[in-house]
Amino acid sequence: MPNRFELLKSMIKEEWRIHAVLIGGKMFLLFPVMLAVLAFLGSLFLPVIKIVLPLKQFVVIVHYVFVLFGVSVGSFGLLGKEVMNRRFGQASLIAYSSRTLPVSEKRIFVNFFVKDIIYYFLLWIIPFVLGFAIASPLLSISLNYSIILLITLTLSFLIGLSVVFFLSTVYAHSSRLLIAMLTITAVALFALNYLKISLLYLLPSLSFFFMPSYVQLVACLLIILIPISLSMIFLKIDYPEKKKRFRNSLAVLTNLLSFSKYSTFISKDFLDLMRSEGGLGKIIFSFIFPIAIIWPMLLIFLKFIPVANFLMIFSVLLGAISSTIYNWLTEFDLFTSYSFLPVRISTLIKSKLRGYAIINLVSISILILAALLSGQINYFIPSFFAFLVTSLYTVAVTIYLTGLHSNILLYNAKIFLAYIASASPIMLVLMFASIINPNILLISPALLPLCYYLIKKGYDKWDSKTELSF
Amino acid sequence: MNNVVETRGLTKNFGKLRAVDNVSFSITEGELFGLLGPNGSGKTTMIKLLTGQLKSTKGRARVLGIDVIKEPVKVRELVGIIPEQETPPSFLTAEEYLHFVGNIRKMDKESIKEKGDDWFDLLEFEDQRDVLCKDLSRGTRQKLMFAQAFIHEPRLAFIDEPVINLDPIIQRKVKDYLLSFIKNNGTIFFSTHVLEIAEEICTSIGIIDKGRIIYKGPMKSLKKKRQRLDNFFLKLVGDL
Repeated sequence: MPNRFELLKSMIKEEWRIHAVLIGGKMFLLFPVMLAVLAFLGSLFLPVIKIVLPLKQFVVIVHYVFVLFGVSVGSFGLLGKEVMNRRFGQASLIAYSSRTLPVSEKRIFVNFFVKDIIYYFLLWIIPFVLGFAIASPLLSISLNYSIILLITLTLSFLIGLSVVFFLSTVYAHSSRLLIAMLTITAVALFALNYLKISLLYLLPSLSFFFMPSYVQLVACLLIILIPISLSMIFLKIDYPEKKKRFRNSLAVLTNLLSFSKYSTFISKDFLDLMRSEGGLGKIIFSFIFPIAIIWPMLLIFLKFIPVANFLMIFSVLLGAISSTIYNWLTEFDLFTSYSFLPVRISTLIKSKLRGYAIINLVSISILILAALLSGQINYFIPSFFAFLVTSLYTVAVTIYLTGLHSNILLYNAKIFLAYIASASPIMLVLMFASIINPNILLISPALLPLCYYLIKKGYDKWDSKTELSF
Repeated sequence: MNNVVETRGLTKNFGKLRAVDNVSFSITEGELFGLLGPNGSGKTTMIKLLTGQLKSTKGRARVLGIDVIKEPVKVRELVGIIPEQETPPSFLTAEEYLHFVGNIRKMDKESIKEKGDDWFDLLEFEDQRDVLCKDLSRGTRQKLMFAQAFIHEPRLAFIDEPVINLDPIIQRKVKDYLLSFIKNNGTIFFSTHVLEIAEEICTSIGIIDKGRIIYKGPMKSLKKKRQRLDNFFLKLVGDL
């Protein structure tokens, strides 16, 4: 009789080996160590942070960051199956074993879900709390807070994960129902904000942190377990058996985009995005949804920092979130599909950048909307510059460090550290400069030559490499 | 006759493993050269080195007179390549993929359409032209890879395991096409471990084992000696 956890154990082993093979076992192991060190160093700055932001607000921010983290992990699940399928072939992953072995798809999915939770708990949550715990004695903070933080951050992560899992299940049944649900939620959030009803403390994991009680704990568990259970009951896993047929849209799109010499590649990328699993869902979950959460949250947080300008801070954050579009565009490509054609890696990266610029028109529309709704249209030009510089600089750093493999190489501790060390100072400088005077950001395009230099170095770097073996 | 492929001391290491070991040989225009060898002997690595998909550790290689190490993209512009694994982009249809490759190869629209139609017709997969590549069977994907490799009418083609997933009818058509291709002064370099195919169509063969070329010569000389290729091959690399 096989052990009932055998499947879970095998999936955890599989996940470890995939990463160990792709980015090196040591570098992967160093990733949580590096997070712990960063959390430790960050915690040492708490006395300084306290001067500008009350600690209570800081705790609120950290909890919501972990909710967002859960949301983004859940969103990636939409892409994940396809990405793994593309990279390793369906037969090679345990997640696909229901086709050949007597195991139900639901059982496999439950194990896969639990594996993901364990994996992110060990890789992200524990190191973060451990870093804080090590710093606590130096800051005269009781270690009890670390234990409560471990519980509440895990719960926050799980709340984000379960909500997005539920929404993705709704999407699998009806995209219209999902859009209706999201619209109602967004309207309700804005209405409550307009009525000055504070929503922040409604997060049960946060309430549990401030006032631990069984009632709060049960509330958390219900918020996590109800959506997960409903999702499991209505889970829809499609292994497409039917051949999908389409008319030649590549020729039409290439014609439409003929203004760019990379029109063929850009058209292919757009078709990948449109025809792949998730479709519109990918955009909603990994881009629009985080922005829809950040927008009202930022409005609320900035009440505590009245000197900060909403539109400026939002434009910098929007630029950073928009840079994830580059990850979508590289998601479906393996260089092995091109290596036998007369194509350089830099040609592909250049085409992704053009596609990135086109999709960023959505981000610009969001920025215009934010400027209009916040009544700060007079600051639109500096905020646009801030958005442009953040978006381009972040993507330039991504290109230089990871080439076409951003989704994999950012899990390499060394590369991730370099990414954070390169991207965050510019974002912080832009945000602080906007606090002094929003119009200072009118000179932010002075950073564009730096972006160009980084991108150019990225082309040279990746063209000179023998292609990685994934 | 011109040499279209020439190597001198070509070597490729993967860490401690030497996949291709100090290989020197040449292939002249109009040859249908078959590189034979057991699994893991270095056949695919050799094709990747000759088409600039991998960088050599040591040695030189020229293809159609071009230094592969210095100008790999230029070599790939001129030749056609069918890789060992068929990896067309998942979300393009078969027809779109041929358009995609034709555009990369800077062909005009009419030629892409015309040549594409010819290939759909020749390899009998017209009914699959609007199906996504990810939904195609392995055999149809291999047909598609054949079409993309020859759509720009190259002078030289590199083919890794040419007919392994194809049914006997299409195999025959492919073999006939390859024979007519070399009659028109084209050159084929293909790797396989299916000896019957090599025996049937090759004008010359090379046998590679543990990264070293241990035999190279014309098929005629084997036929003259009335020696069967499988016996000859097994004598060199097997237990016979």
